[in-house]
Amino acid sequence: MVVLAASILTKTGKVLVSRQFVDMPRIRIEGLLAAFPKLVGTGKQHTYVETENVRYVYQPIEALYLILVTNKQSNILEDLDTLRLLAKVVPEYAPSLDEEGTGEMAFEIIFAFDECLSLGNKENLTVAQVRQYCEMESHEEKLHKLVLQSKMNEAKDVMKRKATEIEKSKIEKGKFQTGAYSSISGPRRSESGFGDINISSSGSGFGSGSGFGLNTESIESFSSKSKDRPAASAKAPPKGLGMQLGKKTQKTNQFLESLKAEGEVIIEDVQPSAVQSKSVLPPTDPITVTIEEKLNIIVQKNGGLRNFDLQGTLSLQILNQDDGFIQLQIENRDMPGLSFKTHPNINKDLFNREQIIGLKDPNRPFPTGQNDVGLMKWRVQKMDESSLPLTVNCWPSVSGNETYVNIEYEASDLFDLQNVVISVPLPALRDAPTVNQIDGEWRYDARNSSLEWSILLIDHSNRSGSMEFVVPPADQSAFFPISIKFAASSTYSDVKVAGINSLKGANVPKYSQRVQLMTESYQVV
Amino acid sequence: MEKPCTLLVHFDKGTPAMANEIKEALEGSDVAAKVDAMKRAIMLLLNGETLPQLFITIVRYVLPSEDHTVQKLLLFYLEIIDKTDARGRVLPEMILICQNLLNNLQHANEYIRGVTLRFLCRISEPEILEPLIPSVLTNLEHRHPFIRRNALLAISSIYRLPNGEQLLPDAPELVEKALSSEQDASARRNAFLMLCNCSQDRAVAYLLSNADRVPEWPDLLQMAMVDLIRKVCRANRPDKGRHIKIIISLLNSPSTAVVYECAGALVSLSSAPTAVRAAANTYCQLLSSQSDNNVRLIILDRLNELRKSHREVMSEVVMDVLRALSSPNPDVRRKVLDIVLDLVSTKNVDEVVLFLKKEVVKTQAAGESDKDAGGEYRQMLVQAIHACTIKFPEVAGSVVHVLMDFLGDSNVASAIDVVIFVREIIETNPKLRVSMIQRLIDTFYQIRAARVCSCALWILGEYSLSLSEVEAAISTIKQCVGELPFYSATEDVEPTAESTKQPHAVNSSVTTSSRRPVVLADGTYATQSAASEAAGVAPSVLPGSLSSIPNLRSLILSGDFFLAAVVASTLTKLVLRLEEVQPAQTETNKACSAALLVMVSMLQFGQSGFAPHPIDDDSYDRIVLCVRLLCNTGDEVRKVWLESCRQSFAKMLAEKQFRETEELRAKAQISHAQPDDLIDFYHLKSRKGMSQLELEDEVHDDLKRATGEFTKDADDASRLNRILQLTGFSDPVYAEAYVTVHHYDIVLDVTIINRTKETLQNLCLELATMGDLKLVDRPQNYTLAPESSRQIKANIKVSSTETGVIFGNIVYETSNVMERNVVVLNDIHIDIMDYISPATCADVTFRNMWAEFEWENKVAISTVIQDEKEFLEHIIKSTNMKCLTPPSALEGDCGFLAANLYAKSVFGEDALVNISVEKQADGKLSGYIRIRSKTQGIALSLGDKITLKQKGGDH
Repeated sequence: MVVLAASILTKTGKVLVSRQFVDMPRIRIEGLLAAFPKLVGTGKQHTYVETENVRYVYQPIEALYLILVTNKQSNILEDLDTLRLLAKVVPEYAPSLDEEGTGEMAFEIIFAFDECLSLGNKENLTVAQVRQYCEMESHEEKLHKLVLQSKMNEAKDVMKRKATEIEKSKIEKGKFQTGAYSSISGPRRSESGFGDINISSSGSGFGSGSGFGLNTESIESFSSKSKDRPAASAKAPPKGLGMQLGKKTQKTNQFLESLKAEGEVIIEDVQPSAVQSKSVLPPTDPITVTIEEKLNIIVQKNGGLRNFDLQGTLSLQILNQDDGFIQLQIENRDMPGLSFKTHPNINKDLFNREQIIGLKDPNRPFPTGQNDVGLMKWRVQKMDESSLPLTVNCWPSVSGNETYVNIEYEASDLFDLQNVVISVPLPALRDAPTVNQIDGEWRYDARNSSLEWSILLIDHSNRSGSMEFVVPPADQSAFFPISIKFAASSTYSDVKVAGINSLKGANVPKYSQRVQLMTESYQVV
Repeated sequence: MEKPCTLLVHFDKGTPAMANEIKEALEGSDVAAKVDAMKRAIMLLLNGETLPQLFITIVRYVLPSEDHTVQKLLLFYLEIIDKTDARGRVLPEMILICQNLLNNLQHANEYIRGVTLRFLCRISEPEILEPLIPSVLTNLEHRHPFIRRNALLAISSIYRLPNGEQLLPDAPELVEKALSSEQDASARRNAFLMLCNCSQDRAVAYLLSNADRVPEWPDLLQMAMVDLIRKVCRANRPDKGRHIKIIISLLNSPSTAVVYECAGALVSLSSAPTAVRAAANTYCQLLSSQSDNNVRLIILDRLNELRKSHREVMSEVVMDVLRALSSPNPDVRRKVLDIVLDLVSTKNVDEVVLFLKKEVVKTQAAGESDKDAGGEYRQMLVQAIHACTIKFPEVAGSVVHVLMDFLGDSNVASAIDVVIFVREIIETNPKLRVSMIQRLIDTFYQIRAARVCSCALWILGEYSLSLSEVEAAISTIKQCVGELPFYSATEDVEPTAESTKQPHAVNSSVTTSSRRPVVLADGTYATQSAASEAAGVAPSVLPGSLSSIPNLRSLILSGDFFLAAVVASTLTKLVLRLEEVQPAQTETNKACSAALLVMVSMLQFGQSGFAPHPIDDDSYDRIVLCVRLLCNTGDEVRKVWLESCRQSFAKMLAEKQFRETEELRAKAQISHAQPDDLIDFYHLKSRKGMSQLELEDEVHDDLKRATGEFTKDADDASRLNRILQLTGFSDPVYAEAYVTVHHYDIVLDVTIINRTKETLQNLCLELATMGDLKLVDRPQNYTLAPESSRQIKANIKVSSTETGVIFGNIVYETSNVMERNVVVLNDIHIDIMDYISPATCADVTFRNMWAEFEWENKVAISTVIQDEKEFLEHIIKSTNMKCLTPPSALEGDCGFLAANLYAKSVFGEDALVNISVEKQADGKLSGYIRIRSKTQGIALSLGDKITLKQKGGDH
């Protein structure tokens, strides 16, 4: 009832792979397999050989023999079944059914043999099941990893909290000593302090990137650098840091450490768990202006722009009603095809004349609360190809029995793009494609069968780049539509809030503005 | 027992992988490189390197890897490394891997858990297993079946370890519980198997409580169940009835594998006719439902086994077995016929022969498409019918006429079989003689093959007795010989002698074709017949014109003078008989002169230049003798020709039969009990079924034999004979070896003794081989204390029969001298005789192989032995071959001898030897021994052996 060994031999008798399921000395199995080629007669119409002690059940596959060594009492019907299964499994793993191909994948074949025969006992499996068992894709493991990751993040948060507490107590001490501030102002500031630190725990790379763009001018304890050049810090976030923060604790720690070493005061939001649940950052300034442009682009694969649509919004969030009596001074770049639409409550006249956004009724404040209030929209259409922030060229070419796909991107000088992801659909593949050359990183998504090429940041240092990968022969159209995602911290229209005028004559409240350009959908078809 | 080997991977020596490179890659963070390095490390290990330095690297850098492939490869690595030291204790560093295994057993990925559990099945060190056991047990309840399956396997193999019961005291209970709630087929099977192996009672209890549901079980479980029943019934006889009931209920299972297994189990459980009948019927059903040749052949083997033990039952299913003849595979057909022929009895012989007859007729109808296969099959059938009729002569009458239609078969072999069959029947069955002769005379003209012709002629000559038969026979022969003379370049008037003088002229003068009178160079007038022209031009033209020319004539014209001699002697016999039965003297004289004419014409043709080659002396003498005889008859001659001939044929048949019965008797003798066999007392045990010991051995030994665990120990005396001294007594290192030759391997047990007063370091036994031998292990280094000794074992793989030589030397260092010392060893010669064993094969196969094999080694005989037979004995003894030539053919003292010897190697190679020896006038023997084989190795080695041994005399 037991298979002693499953082996693959060449026609000349060289043993390529053999897996034994029963304890036997090496000399024995080698002897058995060496005797086999001599026992195989030609011109026979059956495929088993019996010797005094064992039975070989075999099947020629191209230049090889697939052999089961069994004892003579073994059930031939079962063994033939097993042999048939193995004969189907082997070509799945061996790239070519010859000495080289099998030798290369010897271990993978042994893995599969182990699945087909558990310690020599037959298993009723299909090829697909064997494949599944060998791939070891486990849903549970993924879940487990996610849980692990979130636990790690939590632990990190705790760590940071502790760190801030220590820092805080230090500051308190320092302040108390210098006496520059009243002790009451401390907690309030710390509440509104440093949104960016939370970001690392939110897990969203993008969020963290833009988080750095947010500047809080009012906090004295912020780094001197960002205090000097807030605009610069908004436009050029630290390269790659955003992604890494989310990824590795060590980096975060290092970052924190280095910040501390530079004499920074790290203040942490006291309730990080509430922050975590939201993807959008809570405003920490009394007034936050969000300027967003979304792109909808469809480009033909052989050039030509099929669709270009840019939609911009300016929205305002005011936390306290007291700060609601304001007007916004807007600046923008002059460009053709740009037209603004304001909210019906906005004084259009004022806007058209002086580019100031104010309510029609100056006695009413802007709505307040946690929600963004859209004040203005704009659209840009009918741009030409040259103004695309990023163009992607894909050149699949068949050579021999492989398809080489070359992709290159070219970014315009206008923007520094962050978190660029170019995902190329692939034909159904068995293995991940071979990537010969790449600027950036790649990932193969087996489920969606696509290759994702990600570049953290495209700035003046890498305005163009390329990658090449190889897949088995496929139709050219299989690699389209390519979809592209990116974000940038400057916009086409360059709409900005130049200043805020308070209508109540009181001092101007602090405000921050968030500017971003992002793709809603960008496809090369 | 030696360390088991679990996997083999081909290792290409062309790409040497350095341990350092592997180490570097393992330490790196690139997963692909790591996988590759692990693979290379495993290959190196399999190739005999030990790589001890890698272990720590692997523990440090590979163990923590998250990658699944790396983890799986790691398990392979752990599987093949040595986990114990020389004294069998577990290495302390192995504790390092335990934690990793533990983690894997609790891994979130179910497949990692599964493969780790499976890996544990191959671990036998309790020290490693012990800390893991709680985790293994928790996995038993995991919701994923993949894990449960493997957990059950692991538990089973841990429990079966020598101390397994202590490690897992409650395993059977746990498994039983698991089994009762398990749904997955494979896991259930594994659980059940575990119970079967470890706690049979529980398994039986489970089986009996579920007996009704057994037919619904998945086939995997059913198989395990059948296996269990087989085992249980040995120990627990009273319950047998219930078990057999379960098995019988499974005989209709949809899974053929289960059905097959059940039939096998049934036979082993009971020898009651009902059970055997059920099994035989099941086998027959499978035989007809399975189209796979492998299955059919193996089922036929099973039936054959049944035939040996339960003849009566089997003879009932003969017709079912016969139906398998419908398979087109010749091997299957041959096996079917073998089984059936042995089972033929008076009861079923008519049916069987009828069936065979139908099959024969069918082959005729099959037509030209599969002529070769058809011919071969027909030959088999004819032989089968032949064998039947020998046993039961009464059926001959019904088949012989059908068979005689095949005398003219284009397949010569089957036609010969038919004619030999006819010859035997006509002698043994006098009742049929008249009708058969009539039939033979009718079909004679269809016979095309020379050998068939000569045999048929002999039958005609011997068995035509009555006047009408003799006359018919003579006229048939005359007709077949055709118009005389064979070539008609004779002149009307001139005597024949003259025409023989000038064949050359005749030949050259032939310019135009048939039947046209020509004027010869000397002015004579001659006619040229078509036939003679055909013969004169080329024998190759003949087949085309076969239909128009009578068979005997065309054969003789193509130069078959042996046939001519047979024709002559047949005619002589017939004429002599005619003299006895024909009252009218004139008729006899007429026939006599006609016969003389035929003979003379044949002689004349043979000596003319028209024949492809001139007549040979033997045939010439024979024909001349016939001519003389007819001219001058006498009583004595008559007696010799008419009676002795037949008598010697009858004698030959009798001898053949005698030999067969003799063989049968010899076979029967073998199966008798040995003096030290167990005796089964009829009254002391149930006689239904084999004895317990027999059965136990059967199943267990089969597996043991297959894994090579089961080797008979040679007695010590003969072992001591094989000791070889490898170095001299005065060498610093003394070595001797004793060589054990197994089937496919040679084991050298080398004893090494340090004869010096110094410690020898890095002592290494280096071996090299010549011929088809291969070293399995790499040599290890040893340190040898002063005057101490050590045993070293070396395994050498043999892959074909060939004389091999093992060379070697011992290399060592001493403490004060840094250079290495070398002691060269004696060569060890591996004898071919260990690999060949006597075997038999049919005469025809021997001849076919003789013609086919390309390697021939011819050894001239040079010996001191004076007697041919003694020489033959000597060669047989020294080559370990079997003489195929029957002893009767070797009898007598005629000064020369020819014999065929045959042997087979363990690798299935054939070795053929032919000895032709003649005694010279001076009393010495001369001649040649020819060895033929498919491979050069055998021919050469055997030749060497014979050259070495043939001298003889001094033994």
